[in-house]
Amino acid sequence: MAEVQQQEGSEKGGKHKKVRAKKSSTHIDMTPMVDLAFLLLTFFILTTTFSKPKTMDITMPVKDQIKEEDRTKVPASQTVSVILTKDDRIIWYVGIDDPNTPPETHVGDFSENGPMSIHKMLLEKNKLVYDQVKMVDDSVKRGLIEDKEDIIKQHKSAVKAAEKKGLIVLIKPDESSKYKNLVDILDEMLVCNVGRYAIVDLSDSEKELVKNTK
Amino acid sequence: MPKIKVPKKSPSLDMTPMVDLAFLLVTFFMLTTKFRPDEPVIVDQPSSVSEIPLPDKGVIMLTVDGKGRVFFNVEGQQMRADILDRIAEQFKVTFDEKQKKRFCVLASVGMPINKLGEYLSSDEDGRKKMNLATAGIPIDSTSNELAIWVNSARKAAPRYSIAIKGDRDADIPTIKRVISILQDNKANRFALITNLEAGPAEAPKQ
Repeated sequence: MAEVQQQEGSEKGGKHKKVRAKKSSTHIDMTPMVDLAFLLLTFFILTTTFSKPKTMDITMPVKDQIKEEDRTKVPASQTVSVILTKDDRIIWYVGIDDPNTPPETHVGDFSENGPMSIHKMLLEKNKLVYDQVKMVDDSVKRGLIEDKEDIIKQHKSAVKAAEKKGLIVLIKPDESSKYKNLVDILDEMLVCNVGRYAIVDLSDSEKELVKNTK
Repeated sequence: MPKIKVPKKSPSLDMTPMVDLAFLLVTFFMLTTKFRPDEPVIVDQPSSVSEIPLPDKGVIMLTVDGKGRVFFNVEGQQMRADILDRIAEQFKVTFDEKQKKRFCVLASVGMPINKLGEYLSSDEDGRKKMNLATAGIPIDSTSNELAIWVNSARKAAPRYSIAIKGDRDADIPTIKRVISILQDNKANRFALITNLEAGPAEAPKQ
């Protein structure tokens, strides 16, 4: 009996003491998590760089010796030699390099619109091709050529290659010029739509020419 | 006059949308960020109007800094391991496993071959010091190590394109030498890495 009573008693006591889950609010304090999220966000924003470097494709000739008769002859009047020298200076002349009759040289610079601007000179001399390339753009505007980047590119390079009277530029970076100058002049080739250009070494007579041109 | 009682509002805002957005951005940046190891040299590239982007993968990169030092870089750990093996074979030197592993995770390397082992074994500080002191990969005709680097890389990765990342002030003889080494290796097409520049608006009117 006593046992039963005790049980009852304990039962009663248990009922009384029953641990009830506290009704706490369902909200959790999210502040630390948010702090962390923003910390990470700031970190990743600051470390990301979006601008991708661009490239400029160049093709050099195969280095093997070329037989004299295989060389392409180019008319001298179409050829411009551009010699890059110290302190961003350019010396250019029309025609081919001939040690016996030194060509008339001109001094140029990389300015866009100055009196000695190489950009202006190249544009003027390459007007024929430049205008034709421009005509491609016009045809795109008028809907004659599909407005797709690669198709336009194809047309343009075809125009550049087809024009046999276009300008030919020989780029001759001198020992004292900088890489920047080379990239700048290659850039000019792109801007002025010069289809045919090459990077060539200076000949001895041209080195003299550089020395003598002040 | 009876006082107007402003109903007591809880001062806490519902921040859920903001948090959602924050996490969205975190995820985005985490996924788009690519961590790359420290470059040993900082190169200030010249700018051009060219808009061809540099491909993400498959580039053999030759860096020429302002002092004319040449560094070599290829991405992809597998590829780097392969190239190092070929180079070790060419130069008849051996690298232990630890050095190989180190090479795989590094960025550009510009060490002459006799110092490469030491470079790979040293810790970060040591490497930094060596990078400051190095003269780059030798390119002169007596010890033309760059040619062997390029050759090994071309053999390991024939489809990779070659890019030259030159500093504005890199001198022309070095650049010409690098180009001629590439030509010797029958690599006649390559890219010069530049920054994008706002091009001249239009040709001047004549």
